[in-house]
Amino acid sequence: MAIARRLLVFFGVWIILAGWDPVSWVIGLPAVLFASWVYGRLAEDSAAPGFRRMFAFLPFFLRESFRGGADVARRILRPRMRIKPGFQTYRMRLSQPAARVLFLDCISLLPGSLSADRHQDVIHVHLLDASLDVTPELADLERRVAAIFGERLEPHAYV
Amino acid sequence: MSLLLTLFSVLSIALGAFFFLVGTLGLIRLPDLFSRLHALTKTDNLGLGLVILGLLPWLPDPFTALKLVLIWLLVLLAGATGSHLIAKRALRGDGEDLTP
Amino acid sequence: MSDFLIATALVLLLSMTAGLIRVVVGPTPADRMMGAQLLGTTGIAVLLLLGVAFELPALADVALIFALLAAVAVSAFTRRRLDREPDA
Repeated sequence: MAIARRLLVFFGVWIILAGWDPVSWVIGLPAVLFASWVYGRLAEDSAAPGFRRMFAFLPFFLRESFRGGADVARRILRPRMRIKPGFQTYRMRLSQPAARVLFLDCISLLPGSLSADRHQDVIHVHLLDASLDVTPELADLERRVAAIFGERLEPHAYV
Repeated sequence: MSLLLTLFSVLSIALGAFFFLVGTLGLIRLPDLFSRLHALTKTDNLGLGLVILGLLPWLPDPFTALKLVLIWLLVLLAGATGSHLIAKRALRGDGEDLTP
Repeated sequence: MSDFLIATALVLLLSMTAGLIRVVVGPTPADRMMGAQLLGTTGIAVLLLLGVAFELPALADVALIFALLAAVAVSAFTRRRLDREPDA
């Protein structure tokens, strides 16, 4: 079932890229099979993200992308740039590899934050303005990412 | 093509170009590597997204539209992951950058 | 409309030229890499704009290749290590 779904997605991607031309399947078919196989190996430990749940994430994602870009643009355009760069750490509760990658990538799209490094569960986040605590925002994002992969988060143990 | 749609496209593409310009300015102006990464990832991805959004009504068929959206997603993914990798490399000093 | 698209593409080309400053100034290789990344993304936008303006859908494929190469370039760059550096 999972394999069928995966193949369907990659077939769809190939049709978008190469069009309907039947000759293109000489390359397309091996590529689709190979991609499905690689995906299966890499995503072994992660649940498949649900399509509907990804669509539910989309409005938030687009809004935050826009806010992130607008925020950094505002800072750059001030004659005296309003930045106070610095680092903060965040303990991540997500356990699936795919969910973690998505979380790290999305941090970089939130306004003013950039995932810089990761040691086990601890993420080092670089901030354009390090005087604010971004823990609540990151926890909110983490909750939304966990929802895509159907993962349950343990409550935060503040240290 | 209706006037409203044209207006929407022009606004979206112009705004996208604006973000590209700001990104370049940020890359030149910002004082340190990490701050510059912020400018690079966020403004670029937003700029490209807005340009593509503005182009969508002018494409010949829906497949090309999907292809453009796919390009945007790929650039997003590559940009965010790439900036993480660059930051990590700079932090850990395992490249040649931080040697005196 | 295509006049507007071409004009925007020209503006973006100028922006790319300005981005070259960072590639030239550096100071670290990572900074130069970021300059190159910016060139890549802006280049993709230019190609897409011109593709619609001149009705050349193949330019979208070129843009796709740009996007793929940019991803590979950054990962290759960050895999470079001190001890594997050839003598300068």
